[in-house]
Amino acid sequence: MMTSRNNTRVIDHYLHGEPSFADKLLFEARLAVDPVLKSDFHFQKKTHRLLKMYHREKLREELEALHRELFNDPDKIRFRQSISQLFK
Amino acid sequence: METLEQIDDAVGTLAKNDEIVDIYEQTFPLVAKYIGARGGSFEDTKDIFHDALILFIEKRAESPEHTITSNSAYILGISKHLWIRKSQKNGHSIPMDHMESQIAIPDDYFPTTNNRRLLHFLRIAGERCLDLLRSFYFQQFSLKEMASSLGYANEHSVSVQKYKCLEKLRNTVKEKSLTYDDFSE
Repeated sequence: MMTSRNNTRVIDHYLHGEPSFADKLLFEARLAVDPVLKSDFHFQKKTHRLLKMYHREKLREELEALHRELFNDPDKIRFRQSISQLFK
Repeated sequence: METLEQIDDAVGTLAKNDEIVDIYEQTFPLVAKYIGARGGSFEDTKDIFHDALILFIEKRAESPEHTITSNSAYILGISKHLWIRKSQKNGHSIPMDHMESQIAIPDDYFPTTNNRRLLHFLRIAGERCLDLLRSFYFQQFSLKEMASSLGYANEHSVSVQKYKCLEKLRNTVKEKSLTYDDFSE
């Protein structure tokens, strides 16, 4: 009986590693007969989609910080003026 | 988990990335001009421009072989698509050149309410794990780089932590999904 931690590694190898053809076949065969692996596989893929969403949220936060820096920098006054003219 | 706190120092933010800062300064005015001329606000411009930059960064990371002739033109192209979506305009009424019309916004870019809710739980339950996994999968940090920058003894320790985190987050996703349904997704 595989443990949950082992499932995590095996699924990650299948999804994001470089599995050989034999690895893929073996994994897909196990997936067909092991309901726990099947469930873990479903939720691990979903976790990865959420991680991507998280990555995007963090990038958005980093861009907000960059935006604040740029729009508060005394050296960038001409840049700001040229932008604000576009919204009059 | 103390070592994970160092991750903010280990991972550079976009504000410290000179190339991104240059692209920001060069391209923000183009997008502002485009959106401002069509009745959009400064806030609209900022939101759309940030989404366009994120999609540009993803595109470069996912297909490095894809040649983008002009970064600014490409980001402006994405911004036009996002502006069409935001302003509910019929896409055909906004002229686009060949390069621009080839751009597609990924289906998963606008998350479902369920996924927003799930991510909210994950951020509460394990933001440090999210940061560790983000560095690994999306910022192309190798286990070796992470071991040295996060103060782990070796790559094996980072690898163990990575799988612990993955399992922890997966179990949270499973628990919350089953509580609120959505096997249908």
